[in-house]
Amino acid sequence: MRRTFVALSLAFLLSVLTPAQEPGTRLPTVTMAPVSKVQLRAGGSATVELDFRVGSEFHVNSNKPHSALLIPTALHLTAVEPLKMVAVNYPAGQDMSFPFAPTEKLSVYSGDFTITAVVKASAKAASGTYPVSGELRFQACDRSACYPPRSIPVKFEVNVLNR
Amino acid sequence: MKRNALVFATLLIAILAMLAAGKYLTRARKHGVITLVGDVRGVPAPDFELASLDGKKVRLSDYRGKAVLLNFWATWCSPCKVEMPWFVDLQKKYGNDGLVILGVAMDDSEAPKIAQFTSEMGVNYPVLLGTDRVSEQYGNVEFLPTTFYIDREGRIISKDTGLLGRGEIEENIQKALASRVAGVNKADTSAAEPTHAKAQTTAQ
Repeated sequence: MRRTFVALSLAFLLSVLTPAQEPGTRLPTVTMAPVSKVQLRAGGSATVELDFRVGSEFHVNSNKPHSALLIPTALHLTAVEPLKMVAVNYPAGQDMSFPFAPTEKLSVYSGDFTITAVVKASAKAASGTYPVSGELRFQACDRSACYPPRSIPVKFEVNVLNR
Repeated sequence: MKRNALVFATLLIAILAMLAAGKYLTRARKHGVITLVGDVRGVPAPDFELASLDGKKVRLSDYRGKAVLLNFWATWCSPCKVEMPWFVDLQKKYGNDGLVILGVAMDDSEAPKIAQFTSEMGVNYPVLLGTDRVSEQYGNVEFLPTTFYIDREGRIISKDTGLLGRGEIEENIQKALASRVAGVNKADTSAAEPTHAKAQTTAQ
């Protein structure tokens, strides 16, 4: 009897304390796939592919949204000597309409998208492994709500050979 | 033995009730700020003082006696843009009945940029510059648009997250307008007018 009561009480407690899932309360996610090993010779450069995934039901603005008011997805990377970031190249966005503005086309990324970064090593670079780090800033929306801009960390290592 | 079980059961229920109440207390103190959590219906809307686009200070309590639609939005929020023309119409339609729409811009942008946007959108209601504090007071506003409907006595009657239809918004406005200030006759809502008039002036 007592055990049954305790079990029922615990079940009640859990049901009361577990928050209900309201629509529009799931935070958007953007994740980055691990970067495969990057190698380059001193004086050379390499193109690094950075693969990102936007959580289902969400989209983020592309790097070139159609309105100046919208916040573009942007990758900011910093390399330490003897590396230097040469370029960051963004994919074109998909022009999509959403229920909140069916007549308007927004330039967005959804699902998987890849940003490439070109990194260069100085001619005098010593052999070794050097870090590159930074962040991807994005602003996500779903079909009825938008979420404040967020950033996720981005990092990878570059192996430089000099002989 | 049975008596012991009864005492144990009573104590357990009391503890569970207290835990549940603690979890769902609609107002909690966090970093020194009273914040809304859980079901906010019937809870007094937290008062705040925010700057309007022209630099005036506006308090929510300035509008006591009015039905207030408090809309958190941002210039980068496309669904928020859809609602704005509706709010403009609804402010015109229900303004004389005592509706006040307050926009709270959660942008990082500066006031002139937001003002330009609201001017282009033909916004006819006060727009205030949101802060982290007011977001926290209202339960950490993470999703835009988020709209609170506040009755004439300053109680929240509804909270909506995300874009709804105009009909649902209007229905909530009508519910907020239907409330009456305690001690004020239906025919005499002028008691609230001076406060509102002052606030309206400062918000423009």
